[in-house]
Amino acid sequence: MHKVVLIGAGRIGHIHARNAARHPRLELAGVIDAVAGAATALADEVGSTVTTLDAALADASIRGVIIASSTATHLEYSQRAAAAGKLVFCEKPIDQDLERARSAAASLTGARLLLGFNRRFDPNFRALKAKLDGGTIGHIESLQITSNDPAPPPPAYVAVSGGLFKDMAIHDFDMARWLLGEEPTTVYAVGSCLVDPAIGQLGDVDTARTVLKTAGGRLCVISNTRRSGYGYDQRIEAYASGGMVRADNVLESTTQVWSQAGIASDPLQNFFLDRYAEAYRAEMAHFADMLDGAPAAIGYADGLAALALAEAATTSAKTGAIVHL
Amino acid sequence: MGHVHGPNAARQPGLQLKYVVDPRPEAAAFAAELGASIVPLEQALGDPAIRGVLICSPTDQHLGHALAAVAAGKAVFSEKPIDLDLAKVRAAAPHFAGARFQLGFNRRFDPQFVRLKQQLDAGAIGRLESLHLINHDPAAPPPGFIPTSGGLFKDFTIHDLDLARWLLGEEPTTVYAVASCLVDAEIGRQGDVDTARTVLKTASGRLCVISNTRRSGYGYDQRIEAFGSAGMLCAGNVANDTVHVMTEAGDTAAPIRPAFAERYADAYRAEIEHFADVVHGRAQPQSGYADGIAALALAEACAWSVVHDQVCPFPNEVRHA
Repeated sequence: MHKVVLIGAGRIGHIHARNAARHPRLELAGVIDAVAGAATALADEVGSTVTTLDAALADASIRGVIIASSTATHLEYSQRAAAAGKLVFCEKPIDQDLERARSAAASLTGARLLLGFNRRFDPNFRALKAKLDGGTIGHIESLQITSNDPAPPPPAYVAVSGGLFKDMAIHDFDMARWLLGEEPTTVYAVGSCLVDPAIGQLGDVDTARTVLKTAGGRLCVISNTRRSGYGYDQRIEAYASGGMVRADNVLESTTQVWSQAGIASDPLQNFFLDRYAEAYRAEMAHFADMLDGAPAAIGYADGLAALALAEAATTSAKTGAIVHL
Repeated sequence: MGHVHGPNAARQPGLQLKYVVDPRPEAAAFAAELGASIVPLEQALGDPAIRGVLICSPTDQHLGHALAAVAAGKAVFSEKPIDLDLAKVRAAAPHFAGARFQLGFNRRFDPQFVRLKQQLDAGAIGRLESLHLINHDPAAPPPGFIPTSGGLFKDFTIHDLDLARWLLGEEPTTVYAVASCLVDAEIGRQGDVDTARTVLKTASGRLCVISNTRRSGYGYDQRIEAFGSAGMLCAGNVANDTVHVMTEAGDTAAPIRPAFAERYADAYRAEIEHFADVVHGRAQPQSGYADGIAALALAEACAWSVVHDQVCPFPNEVRHA
């Protein structure tokens, strides 16, 4: 059993705490949150105890730190945990500020750090990648990533989110890098505020398309909206020289109702806690493997690269120009 | 395309295919099969019984033939594009004022896309916000075709640019296109591209992405997704049949329709049916000369964007790549 602690008892902290507590090779030895009540409630739920970061980092029996606190604290907690010799599992993004994230690279690029790009652990997307890597449909030429949220977040969230590209599309930038097999060299993004004028008043967009091109000429389109009107739309199509591989949406169930009006399927699994439940479990299992000696599947450099693409897309959407990396 | 439209016209109630105009000897058998006779263009246009002309000649002859037919007072159906040269097309526009001219943007007549448009117009998904058009050819054309094609955007994407205008309900105000030669290096040597993505944005902020490749590897991929304020409309591919083979290896569906002749057979019939209505004065052409200019201008803007590696902010200006 590897002892780990978790920082941040919010929504994503609950997911990771439950998965860590349930994992046969992990022991959730403490929960840390600035809000004492939140830490106590989560610790009680998963059979853990409340602790502090200082105590956890000083405890030689604690081997891993799961960082699920607010984005602004990710870098500092990662650096402190890494400096204390702990393995780190940090939620995305590493930071909202690319320069700040770059200046921390020296201390974190070599660290045993897993960045929480959970979609790489989704069984559907893993199967898609395995088909691509298997070479049965030739080499990849282009990619379509559809990533549409069911409903817009409250304006208060948008104000501190870093904007659509850094908050939401960053997942897709990571998927694009993972699947394209080459780094994008040009970024063009176009955004509109069509869903909620309050989002536009905050200087953000809620509807966007981003086009990436790699040095080898591979193309990728990312579709984003903050409100689909039909659930959490999460699909990938990878076009290759010998065909196409497609990962479709996951429905609430496979039940269909057939009537005079047509064929009605169940709704899409609504939002990330349901749609990516298995991915979150698999990512925690990977962290357990890291504690057993496996290298991190997603490291700090991946976080930097995704953030650089998000920053380029933000710039492109603002200026209307193509950004060359 | 004459072999698609000729038989459809011959079979269309309300139309009689009287003449075939084609100087090549092999046209005689084709005309005979359709119950038509071979005559020179002047004779066909001089026959007062002739009310309509279907133009399926090579692209560089479309405009000349259309001008002659319009001058003779005939209703005209012309294959797309009107011409590859936008300036020439614009200059000829006054001759088409008041003419009954239908441009062969066949996809506007596809039953799948017509249904999608009906649902959109009926408000099934609220207000349209963005659009994704997928148009992938099954296999690259022979390299000999490329130099006369006008390039991927004018030859191929032009269909999608017309669909985008038709569905968006607003004119695009910025055009960005990015392209590569990944399918056939010979296409690249001819100065063209074979893989492209185009992004359009309208004045009110509606977005559209067009996905194109010359070779899909799995048939003729023709899909539309329209994203609205209250949901999404999706027109999927049409499969050759509905049979699935389910084994230990998984669930295998039939291939999708292999190419345009099969996929758009209904659309080609419907557009000739529409032309019959135009000839008889029962309908105004659904896509006319102005639509041809607008789609060609957008195609030029795409090519310009790729060559200059810049966003084209004024797609309605003449821009030669």
